[in-house]
Amino acid sequence: MSVDAGSAAISARGPRIIIYGLLILFAVFYLLPLYVMLVTSLKPLSEIQSGNMLQLPQAPSFYAWEKAWGAACIGVTCEGLKGFFWNSIRMVVPAVTISTILGALNGYVLTKWKFRGHKLIFGLMLFGCFIPFQVVLVPMAQVLGRLGLASSTPGLVLVHIVYGLGFTTLFFRNFYVAFPDELVRAAMMDGAGFFRIFWRILLPASLPIIVVTVIYQFTNIWNDFLFGASFTSGDAAPMTVALNNLVSSSTGVKEYNVDMAAALIAALPTLLVYVVAGRYFVRGLMAGAVKG
Amino acid sequence: MSSKDVGMQPAGARAAPMGLPASPSRDDLVKQAPPGPGSGGVGWLQANMAKLVLSPSLAVTLVFVYGFIVWTVVLSFSTSRLLPIYKWAGLEQYARLWATPNWYVAIKNLGIYGGLYIAISLFLGLFIAILLDQRIRGEGGLRPIFLYPMAISFIVTGTAWKWFLNPGLGLDRVMHSWGWTSFTFDWLINPDMAIYTVVIAGVWQTSGFIMAMFLAGLRGIDNEVIKAAQIDGAPTLQIYWRIIIPQLRPVFLSALIILLHMAIKSYDLVIALTGGGPGNATELPSTFMYSYTFTRNAMGVGAASAVMMLMTIAAVIVPYLYSELRERRT
Amino acid sequence: MAFLEIDRLHKRYGATEILKGIDLDLDQGGFLVLVGPSGCGKSTLLNTIAGLEQITGGEIRLEGRKINDLHPSRRDIAMVFQSYALYPTMSIKDNIGFGLEMRKVPKAEREAAIARVAKTLQIEHLLQRRPSQLSGGQRQRVAMGRALVRNPRLFLFDEPLSNLDAKLRVDMRTEIKRLHQQTGTTIVYVTHDQIEAMTLATKIAVLKDGKLQQVGTPAEIYNRPDNLFVADFMGSPSMNLMAGTVRASGNGAMIQLAQREGSIALQIPPSVTARDLPPEKKVIFGIRPEAITDIDGADRHASQLQTIEGRVDVIEPAGSDTYVVTQLGGKEVIARMRAEASLKVGDLVPFAFNLDKALLFDPETGYRL
Repeated sequence: MSVDAGSAAISARGPRIIIYGLLILFAVFYLLPLYVMLVTSLKPLSEIQSGNMLQLPQAPSFYAWEKAWGAACIGVTCEGLKGFFWNSIRMVVPAVTISTILGALNGYVLTKWKFRGHKLIFGLMLFGCFIPFQVVLVPMAQVLGRLGLASSTPGLVLVHIVYGLGFTTLFFRNFYVAFPDELVRAAMMDGAGFFRIFWRILLPASLPIIVVTVIYQFTNIWNDFLFGASFTSGDAAPMTVALNNLVSSSTGVKEYNVDMAAALIAALPTLLVYVVAGRYFVRGLMAGAVKG
Repeated sequence: MSSKDVGMQPAGARAAPMGLPASPSRDDLVKQAPPGPGSGGVGWLQANMAKLVLSPSLAVTLVFVYGFIVWTVVLSFSTSRLLPIYKWAGLEQYARLWATPNWYVAIKNLGIYGGLYIAISLFLGLFIAILLDQRIRGEGGLRPIFLYPMAISFIVTGTAWKWFLNPGLGLDRVMHSWGWTSFTFDWLINPDMAIYTVVIAGVWQTSGFIMAMFLAGLRGIDNEVIKAAQIDGAPTLQIYWRIIIPQLRPVFLSALIILLHMAIKSYDLVIALTGGGPGNATELPSTFMYSYTFTRNAMGVGAASAVMMLMTIAAVIVPYLYSELRERRT
Repeated sequence: MAFLEIDRLHKRYGATEILKGIDLDLDQGGFLVLVGPSGCGKSTLLNTIAGLEQITGGEIRLEGRKINDLHPSRRDIAMVFQSYALYPTMSIKDNIGFGLEMRKVPKAEREAAIARVAKTLQIEHLLQRRPSQLSGGQRQRVAMGRALVRNPRLFLFDEPLSNLDAKLRVDMRTEIKRLHQQTGTTIVYVTHDQIEAMTLATKIAVLKDGKLQQVGTPAEIYNRPDNLFVADFMGSPSMNLMAGTVRASGNGAMIQLAQREGSIALQIPPSVTARDLPPEKKVIFGIRPEAITDIDGADRHASQLQTIEGRVDVIEPAGSDTYVVTQLGGKEVIARMRAEASLKVGDLVPFAFNLDKALLFDPETGYRL
């Protein structure tokens, strides 16, 4: 969202110094953990144990990053996070793609081809977004087992598609609701059918919501822990689960610098997406959030 | 699915101008009419394509959401322990659940955590939003700083705060090296205080998003009303308190719903930050469910606790969704 | 057999009946305007002709062939929408060509058709642009081009000018009329603007609450409205309608209208035969503002002119004419006087009634006598 000159801002006559001071204070609060993670990951263990965690590293080194990526012990294997990182990638890409496509089609149907009960169906799908996932863990584990997908990336892909559908449908539905019906009617009179109207008329205008949905789903699925922890074990785990295992393992010397490097590696993809396309993400959020 | 993002969801729900087409007002009841498929001459397939396309998603939802809920409810009435056993046990598992001291700890913790997490996030979110709304130079640079935590995983957040608050090497050490040698901060290992570290980390992660919601709300308020109040001579504080904040009611409602359901679903953060400990000091219903189901061989009790969680959330969400979908009738 | 025939058409949404048995027809090359207030069902009627909405009963025939079960794309009908409905992501050229593309018209032929239409509408220079880069009037032209290019049997227009500003609206109105005259296409046009209806139509259908009120040429509708609704709805300012009573008098009957003080008597207009008017019958006396003038402005060819004194309440100079408001029959009455007539508020001045143009209505049924 751009700074809107005509917005409801009130020009405070009060002491603006205080306002800026407070904002900077808050900014420090939000930035501090990230800063600490970063400097810690660049320090050798000795410096961490002897020094102040806020201090910049005396001799920054990527030793901890290299170890976290390729040599840290997670469970019984000591090959770092790299395998798990690829697990997450292999999980995220198909899950995001498929759930976004389905959501777009659902949103199209629910706004432009309404039929009796469309609202109930939407309500049912929407409620699926809110349920505490604890309530589906055991049945899901059983079903994945029966399907032969237990502790596998395809299994997690399935899970994330299923429980992401509500969100993607919601996003596209709210976007397409504002898409003029007359365009659909015009295309219909021009002789375009169901898929042609979608493909030629709606989809080319959907880039903003596609970006929002993809970013949202990517963040959501990448960051998931509950499903990963429940349905995978060992080498099949996604990044978040591996990170937790690495950090909470209690064998040997606690290498805080490796922990922090690992956490940063786990956070990097989503942070990168946020930095590159955060504007879209926030805009989508805002547009979706409170335009009553 | 990390619950922080789940949070944005009802936000979206609010936004939906449910079902009203945006085309300029037309007379007649055209707006009620779907462009609907003309049946003749196009064949059954075209006419029913819409339903056909929607049906896999609907089927998946019915099975994986509602079917599984029923399944879990069935488990909660069974004698299941290590593995699912479909032998009727009546309310036994619920009785057992409510006789477990740990469950009370979990509920009490959820009360503390949920209450503080919601209250502080709302307050902080609104406060920062108001600060940012004062025609701040560099707003574009500040906003992402408050928002970035929501892009990262609760596991990362937990890991970071666990280190930051590390007794001995973390905040303690910083204060000592700055000369405040008597400073101690041991909340992470103090059973009475550990739950508050979860609150801090939770607020850190979410409040930026709440801020964004409020900021959007503030920006959406009619400028002329504010000008009128200024001409009436109201001081800035009064304008916020009497005119602006009351108009943000829908935002408060959305934010409250988001935070509430995130609080109930919180799991990852506790696991990464405290692992539910020390002891069971930071047990929450979500961690309780997980450990009883998967590690303590009490699947029935776990299922019962999951059902309790679902009912709590449903009690809030169902009326909310109903009113949202109902309000603006198409 | 007419070109377009609509037969006992019904349309219902649940319990609400939107169209209550519409019978209409239109000859080839005709310009039918559906006019009526908001919610009268005119847009629904148009949509049923287009096939965008299903009908509940009756029949629609085009060139004698029943089309009500055909998909919109198979009816060979084109439509211009209120919002123009230009595809936002396509160039103007693609917008115009989309319908042909869907009908698998070869590319070369398509290009030729687009070029021809663009020339007719003078939008050749816009073909590479996007809809968002066009002004309202330009979009309007493109929307018409999209309809024209397919050379359909029937054109439908759904309030196409309502999103334009006043001046542009007048220009585009002329444009549409010219287009119709040049191409001889058959058009059904929906509007709530009765001036648009009068200027464009060869045939007007006035609708209210899903029922046809009157169908006729613009002159018929304007000069001889069938009922009070049509009389009131068509024309701006609208027709003066005053409650009165038939009184027997020396040389035949008169119509008595209450004035502020006392009452006045008007002769029976020639449009009505006195036989139909038993004494003491209540009537509504209708006369358009332009038929009430100052004496010098009165129509010299009028066969029956009557002058009545009235007090000037309000004066509204409109440049070419001056509208004068007075009171008659318990209601405000608007007269149209020459701009040169010298008037002052409060004056008692003569109002010349051209009774040739006056009409009488039955207050109970609302029908014209």
